[in-house]
Amino acid sequence: MSMTGSVPGTDNRGIRELGAEEKVGWDQVQQGVVLPSFEGDAADIAHQKAEERHYADFNSYTATVASWRVLKPVYNRDICIDCQNCWVWCPDTSIISRDKQMLGIDYDHCKGCGVCVEVCPTNPKSLLMFNEAEENEEALSEWPQKEKKAK
Amino acid sequence: MAKEFELNEVEVWDGNYAASQALRQAQIDVVAAYPITPSTPIVEGYGAYVANGYVDGEFVMVESEHAAMSGCVGAAAAGGRVATATSSQGFALMTEVLYQASGMRLPIVLTVVNRALASPLNVRGDHSDMYLGRDSGWIQIDAFNAQEAYDLPLCAFRIGEHLDVRLPVMVHQDGFTTSHKAQNVYPLKDDVAYKFVGDYVPVDEMLDFTRPVTHGAQTEEDWHYEHKAKQHKAIMDSKTVIDEVFEDFKKLTGREYKRVETYMMEDAEVALVLLGSSVETAVLAAKQLREEEGIKVGVVAPRCFRPFPYDLVREALDVPTLKAVCCLDKSSPGGAMGALFNEVSAAAYTTSSRPMITNYIYGLGGRDFAMDEAKRIMKEQKAHADAGHITTNIQQFSGLRGPKLGFYETRRS
Amino acid sequence: MVEIRWHSRAGQGAVTGAKGLGTVVATTGKQVQAYALYGSAKRGAAMNAYNRIDDEPITNQETKMYPDYVFVIDPALAFSDDITKNDKPDTQYIITTHLSKEDLIAQIPALQDKADRVHVVDCMQISLDTIGRAMPNTPILGAFMKISKMYDLDFFLENMKKVLSKFPQKIIDANMEAITRAYNEVK
Repeated sequence: MSMTGSVPGTDNRGIRELGAEEKVGWDQVQQGVVLPSFEGDAADIAHQKAEERHYADFNSYTATVASWRVLKPVYNRDICIDCQNCWVWCPDTSIISRDKQMLGIDYDHCKGCGVCVEVCPTNPKSLLMFNEAEENEEALSEWPQKEKKAK
Repeated sequence: MAKEFELNEVEVWDGNYAASQALRQAQIDVVAAYPITPSTPIVEGYGAYVANGYVDGEFVMVESEHAAMSGCVGAAAAGGRVATATSSQGFALMTEVLYQASGMRLPIVLTVVNRALASPLNVRGDHSDMYLGRDSGWIQIDAFNAQEAYDLPLCAFRIGEHLDVRLPVMVHQDGFTTSHKAQNVYPLKDDVAYKFVGDYVPVDEMLDFTRPVTHGAQTEEDWHYEHKAKQHKAIMDSKTVIDEVFEDFKKLTGREYKRVETYMMEDAEVALVLLGSSVETAVLAAKQLREEEGIKVGVVAPRCFRPFPYDLVREALDVPTLKAVCCLDKSSPGGAMGALFNEVSAAAYTTSSRPMITNYIYGLGGRDFAMDEAKRIMKEQKAHADAGHITTNIQQFSGLRGPKLGFYETRRS
Repeated sequence: MVEIRWHSRAGQGAVTGAKGLGTVVATTGKQVQAYALYGSAKRGAAMNAYNRIDDEPITNQETKMYPDYVFVIDPALAFSDDITKNDKPDTQYIITTHLSKEDLIAQIPALQDKADRVHVVDCMQISLDTIGRAMPNTPILGAFMKISKMYDLDFFLENMKKVLSKFPQKIIDANMEAITRAYNEVK
């Protein structure tokens, strides 16, 4: 169900369904329930883009919860004003933004809560919820027109 | 006056709802609580009963479990019938005050929905919180299913409030396995249940202004020891009252409880000793194994964890045919044999049959206790019996991933 | 003993459905269990609920079961969940889907040799049409009554009304319609 690679910075995402990791025995589990965040030296990690980082297996970045969604947000670049509201409000850091420019949605971690749509200020909205099964292109083709203000 | 709650002859309740109904029917004066998974619905239920007029009482929301039990101690010392519920980390935070409650001889009822203690953080059922309470001076009674989670709190008030006892009582049930599993429950009518529990008779209550008293006094080496001895005698002797209350409950409902439940022990060659919801699975496994393979398996289940029923465990294990017993502990013993193993072994040592006894740690953090695994353990006991000696490590782990883990071997040759 | 395993998402009402079924069954003198297995799950996460039904008191407290019936109340879970786990040679499947039975089975290898035991019904659409939102938990019980012949539809409806009595009349009526439609439409 992974939609990895559709948006820059999502290349290493959604390698496995959350909870589908290999279950090892007592002799192999990490002492102290410690979960390493990255593989190798991470001293410069803050300066690396997500797709350049080597995330560890137990980092939630590599787990996908895409299957939890019933509805999904679809992003319309043509209307977006890059206000970053959705980026600020998303509870799952599933809005991908680079240099204050909206790029799209991380569908591996988005749970379809709809908060981004609620906080989107444009008219019509730049983010709308569609059925999970509907293709994004189809969703974009049926985008609503600007609503006239009630007088 | 509280409204009557309309109940059907048979309800489909989970253990939490069953316990909350029992607390309502006992007409508790005060519940001070800090809700925690998986026991939350018990106090949530009580709060709803108060709000909807089904109980004349006070629900006191506090800022922690330490405060919850402190509130209960205050309300009980003031002269009220008091109860609350907790689990796991909440139980651990209450621990300091649990000792105050028992030392102050306040008959509070605590419904504990057993849950693993962190770390790792885990919301599911095991007995590590129940075991944490075992030296706290509280009576601890264990419910194995939803019906018992309803019946036993009603008994708990009668036991704890008895003037010969005057001790707090915990009623345990297994997190999720019992607390969140709905089963047929046959409740009593409100008036019948309340009549069984009886009016609360306060003792040395602070709200009796004709006789002002101090609670919670300090004692040092000149007084402390005698108070603790008197308290210990009270809990050891409470077995008589517990037996009486269970007998009265049987007369009222036909449902029989004993401080130690025994199943098919009359001719047992091997036996399992365990606590909680797993008892029911083990009894079913034992019945099937008797039919399938003719292995004479029995099950012993201390209903009363404290006071530990040394007398009845000894009686249950004093069976001439009994050769091998396995005690299963659902709590990580942290560098020892399991507590049930230690206590049952001590009781079995004084029997003439002196069966071989081994220990399994199982079910930690809610790991499912499977019928097949219960049967495997029973068959392993039969192998000990046939060999005439313990053929495995004395302590082993059941249902664990990874290489076999075991400790200590028998020194009998 | 009849054992049922529900495949659902947190928020679709599987626990309520399992308890509702248990409550109806208990009124006929039978013994029941209704329980669920879910983690610290958020709405939308896959989960299981379970029912056991028997004439004798049920003492098996093991979570795992070998189901006689498998209910799949979320369409996507038929593809992503291990719905045939621990099944028996006569396990019956009642699956919510907008697909025809043939199309569904063609896409799920695990069901290939079980075609005669697979039943489909679109509880999602039925609940959207009747209740007004995706609540597949009550309609699936209508389909179950048809397949299992456990009770007459009328008897089941009457008793479900009591289970739902705390809800407004409009919601009770919508649920009755949903159950009836699923009873009639399951294939």
